[in-house]
Amino acid sequence: MKTNFKFKVIDIIYILMMILPVAFSITLKVLTTPVSDGISISGAKIFFEIPMPLQNLIISESQINSAMVLITIFFFCLYMTHGLKEKIELKRQHFAELIVEKVDGLVGENMGEYFSGYSPFIIAIMALSGFSSLLSLFGLFPPTSDINIVGGWAILVFFLITYYKMKCGPLNYLKGFTKPISLLAPINFISEFATPISMAFRHYGNILSGTVISVLLSSALAGLTSMLFNSLPGFLGEFPFLQIGIPAVLSIYFDVFSAVLQAFIFAMLTMLNVSGGLDIDEYEKRKLKKAQKALKNK
Amino acid sequence: MQSLDVISINIWQIIISLLNLVILFLIIKKFLYKPVKRMLSERQNTIQKQYDDAEQAKSDAMNAKTQYEEKLSAASLEADGIILSAVDTAKAREKEIITDAKQKADGIILKAENDAKLAVLKAEDSIKKEIIDVSTVLTEKVLEREISADDHKNLIDSFIDNIGEYDE
Repeated sequence: MKTNFKFKVIDIIYILMMILPVAFSITLKVLTTPVSDGISISGAKIFFEIPMPLQNLIISESQINSAMVLITIFFFCLYMTHGLKEKIELKRQHFAELIVEKVDGLVGENMGEYFSGYSPFIIAIMALSGFSSLLSLFGLFPPTSDINIVGGWAILVFFLITYYKMKCGPLNYLKGFTKPISLLAPINFISEFATPISMAFRHYGNILSGTVISVLLSSALAGLTSMLFNSLPGFLGEFPFLQIGIPAVLSIYFDVFSAVLQAFIFAMLTMLNVSGGLDIDEYEKRKLKKAQKALKNK
Repeated sequence: MQSLDVISINIWQIIISLLNLVILFLIIKKFLYKPVKRMLSERQNTIQKQYDDAEQAKSDAMNAKTQYEEKLSAASLEADGIILSAVDTAKAREKEIITDAKQKADGIILKAENDAKLAVLKAEDSIKKEIIDVSTVLTEKVLEREISADDHKNLIDSFIDNIGEYDE
């Protein structure tokens, strides 16, 4: 009974730590948002700037929010794996196993045997992207609608792609640019850098467009309400009748569906691009040659 | 409060978000992926062990079954042998008893014959006496004179002996 009580207390602490960062972000947003914002579509709010070489480091809403998402996911992981047993006792274990097994299957299917260690990375991308985008459900600024945040992830993916292309030797990597004919080298070079940029802009644009449409719609509905119900007396004339249910329905698409879909697409593109970067046959051949050389030298 | 433009690129923000992703990757690997994987492999091991145990138990049971079957067939053979030997001994005993009985019966018959012979002899003796007596009386009456007993006896004996010879 005592251990059970302890277990429950730890559970409650984890859940609290999952909720607290979001609550902190909401509080910050409420405190810093001016009363009448009107319709202005702008990027993240700047809290303060730290002078740094090259460019000032801007601590903006998106930075704070993504840090909060990080903390939330950390405690979510702890909560999920709390009380993990061979014989399942808690319902959350089913979910944890489901996540791990599904992503393992996805990675195995799309990346192959060689990249089986990529499952946690794919889970991380999906979780970070999904949770970040879903913050807009709380009325927060989703970090994924900031190009810097998504750009960072895309650049990491670009590094990974380049690393796996370099695995067959830098010379082979450079030769790869002249693959069909050498005339296409500049275009290949551009397309190399287009991959992360297109990934970043796709994700960022989708989430931002959702936000923009939500803002436009809510302001349009406000205008429509004041036009239709202006003649009502007193308090009723100012009450936003049309803004009650309709934005919620649209938010299912723009916030939930789009967020989950973009997270999935980003993870999928990461998997395909990274695994496409490595030419497995060529790599195996090189490995064999190296081993033979080493054998000969001995 | 100041806001960023919709598209504004800041190198430090990009680096921080890149690091965030790396940190989250490490967190997920350490706190979600590894524990779940370890638990799954442990479960796999347990299940494999249980399967092995079941297989072992099954083969043991099969071994025991074949052993019992062998023992059972051996026992039935033994039982057959026992029955056969019992029958043999019974037959031998039967013969023994029968021969014993025959011998005894022969003895009894022999004794009976002897007895009968003795009885015959006795009867002959008594008949002789009777006849002697009767003939004595008869002759006394016929002759009406007393003859000495000794003469008488000799006469009769010779007579009866003659009769006996005729009989035989």
